[in-house]
Amino acid sequence: MKLGMVIDLDRCIGCRTCAVVCKEHNSQPPGTWWNRVFTPGSKEHQIPLAKDGEAQMYFLPVSCQMCENAPCEKVCPVGATYTDEQGRVLVDYERCIGCRYCMAACPYGVRQFNWEDARKAKEKAGYMPGYDYGYPFEHRDKRGRLVYTPDRPKGIVEKCTFCVQYTDKGDPPICVQACPAGARFFGDLDDPRSEVSRLVRQRQALRLKEELGTKPKVFYLPPTGPRK
Amino acid sequence: MRKLNVAFVPGLVLLLVSLFTWGYQLKSGLIVTGMRNPFSWGLYIATFAFFVGIAAGGLIVSSSVYLFNLEQLKPFTRIASLSAFASIMAAAVVILPDLGRVDRIYNLLLHPNFRSPLIWDVIVVSAYTVLTFLSVYFQLLPDWKKEGRGFLNGWTRKLSQEEVESISARWSRRVAMVGLPVAILIHTITALIFATQASRGWWYTAVLPPDFIAVAVASGTALVLVIALLVAGKEGFNQYAGAFNTLARITAGALAVHFFFVAMDILIHWWWGSPEALSTLGLVFKRYGPVYLVEIALPALVMVYFFSEKGGRSAGSLLLGCALLFTGVFAHRLMLMFPAFNQFPLSLSLPGMEVEGWNYPIAVGEFKAGAPVFAGSWPYVPTLFEVAVDLLPFGLALLIITLMVGWYNFLPDKR
Repeated sequence: MKLGMVIDLDRCIGCRTCAVVCKEHNSQPPGTWWNRVFTPGSKEHQIPLAKDGEAQMYFLPVSCQMCENAPCEKVCPVGATYTDEQGRVLVDYERCIGCRYCMAACPYGVRQFNWEDARKAKEKAGYMPGYDYGYPFEHRDKRGRLVYTPDRPKGIVEKCTFCVQYTDKGDPPICVQACPAGARFFGDLDDPRSEVSRLVRQRQALRLKEELGTKPKVFYLPPTGPRK
Repeated sequence: MRKLNVAFVPGLVLLLVSLFTWGYQLKSGLIVTGMRNPFSWGLYIATFAFFVGIAAGGLIVSSSVYLFNLEQLKPFTRIASLSAFASIMAAAVVILPDLGRVDRIYNLLLHPNFRSPLIWDVIVVSAYTVLTFLSVYFQLLPDWKKEGRGFLNGWTRKLSQEEVESISARWSRRVAMVGLPVAILIHTITALIFATQASRGWWYTAVLPPDFIAVAVASGTALVLVIALLVAGKEGFNQYAGAFNTLARITAGALAVHFFFVAMDILIHWWWGSPEALSTLGLVFKRYGPVYLVEIALPALVMVYFFSEKGGRSAGSLLLGCALLFTGVFAHRLMLMFPAFNQFPLSLSLPGMEVEGWNYPIAVGEFKAGAPVFAGSWPYVPTLFEVAVDLLPFGLALLIITLMVGWYNFLPDKR
C-alpha cells in the first residue's frame, strides 16, 4: 500500500479550512502550521495578481509531500524520520534529537520545530486557559513508535503525518474530510483502480519540484481554465 | 609562555558564561536563539564548521612535517597537534547546544542511520579526537619520562629514556600517517553535510569539500602560527623566524586556492543565470554584501600581506594578520547559512499558473503579536543569548591550550 493525495487546484477556493482543521486536530502550537495555503505570485493570500492587464488568482495548499526519495529521512542521523509500510513519512517523537538537519534538507519547508514548550507557547499567544484542542490520545505505529501525541515535547521536529491517527483506522486525513470544495482526494497509489490513481493517470497531474527527484506522493491537478 | 597562562582566566570566564546561558536555553528551549523554522541553522553550526576547519588544519600541518620531512617546521609539531586537539574538542562541544534534545544524544549510538552525512561526521570527528589526543600524548611522552610526571604513562616506568624516545618517535610518525587522511576527511565530510543537499542551491556544489579543505589549511595553519608565536615569545622570534614565515606562506597559498574555488563557484552560478542561482547571488552580493565583503576582503588582504616580503617580519604583524584571517573565515562560515536559508527552496513555476520566482512562505514557528505568521524570508541575527552560548567552544579551546602549554613544554629546544 502506498498512500497518496491528489489536490485539484481548479476546485481549491483558498479558504484555508484544511490549514485550520489540520492545526486543530493535530494540536499544533501557535506559530506552527503543518498545512498552508497561499496565492502563488502574490505577497498576500487572496490578493489577485495582475498579469498582462488581467487579474488572476490561484491557490496552492502545501503540506508534507510524503516523498518516496525523502531527503529528510536520508539525512536523519538517528532514523527518527522513516517511511512506514503504507508509504507515510513519519517522525518518531521519542527518538528525534532535534538536530534540524531534516529542516535544512526539506525542499518544501514543511518541517516545524518545537522552539519552546507547547503549553507555554499557547499561554504566550493568549489562548484561553483551559482551552485544549486536538486528537487527545497518543498514537503509536505497529512497532510501538510514538508518531502522534498532543503537545509534542520542546526540542523536536514535527510535520504532517497524513493524520496517521485517522488513516490507521481507514479514515482519510482530516484536510480531505473537511475540504468544503472537495478539492482533495486520498487513497492507495498502488491500487490502479483507486480514485487517486485514476486522477494521476487521467489528468495532467504534477508534483512540486519534480526536478529534484524527490518523487512526492502528493499530486496536484493544475488549473485548466483562467480565473478572474 | 607566561602570556598564555594569563589567557587561562578569560578561558574559564567564557566557559562559565556559556554553560550558564546554555542552562537557561535548556530550560526555555531554542526559542531564545534568533533561529526559527525558515532559518533553522545559525551561529552554532557556523561555529562548528569554523572549528572543524581549524582542527583539520592543525594535523595537516603536523602530519606534513613527518610525512614530507619539513625540518624547519619540526619544532612546531607539538603545537600543531595541540591546536588540532583543542579545536576538534571545541567543534564537538558546540554541536551540543544546537541539539533540541541533547539528552537523547545516545540515539546516535543506538540507532545510527549510515546514510546520513551527520553520522559519517560523528564517526570521523570521534576518530579525529582520539588521533589528535594520541598525537599530543606520544610527543609528550619523552618529556614526561624525563620529568617523572604526566598521565596514562605508567607503562613507561620500566623503560629507559632512549626506549621511550624511540617509541615516541615511531608512534608519533604512525599517528601522523593515519592522521593526515582523517584530518582531510573531517572537513570533507563536514562539507558533505551541506553539499549533499539539493534543496539549498548555495550548498549544492562539488566544489564545497575542496574549498573547505583550502580554508582549513589556511585557518588551521594560522592558529598553529598564533600559538607558536605566543609560546616562543619575543625572545624566541628570531630563532624561529624562518618557520613562522613558512607557516604564513602556507596560509597565503591555501587562501589563493580558496579564492580560486570561490571564483569558480560564483562564476558558474552567474553564467547560466537560472533565476534561483541569480537570487542566491543577489543575497550574497546585495542583502548580505557587507558580511561577504568581510569574508573576501580580510583574507585577501592577509594573503597579499603574507606573500609579500614585508609580511612575517614581526610577531605583531603576523598576529594581526591571523586575527584578520580568523574574522574573515568566521564570516565565511556565517555566509554558509544566510544565502542558503533565505533563498527559500520552493520557488514555483506551475503550468497554467504563469508564476515564476515566487517563494512559498514558511510558518515562522512562534506566535508574536504584530509579527507575520508566515515568512518569505527570515532576517536571522543571533540573539545575545545565542552569542553567549556560542562562547562555549572558544572558552574550552582556550582553556585546553593554555593549561597544556602551561603544564608541559610544547616548544622543545632545537637539537
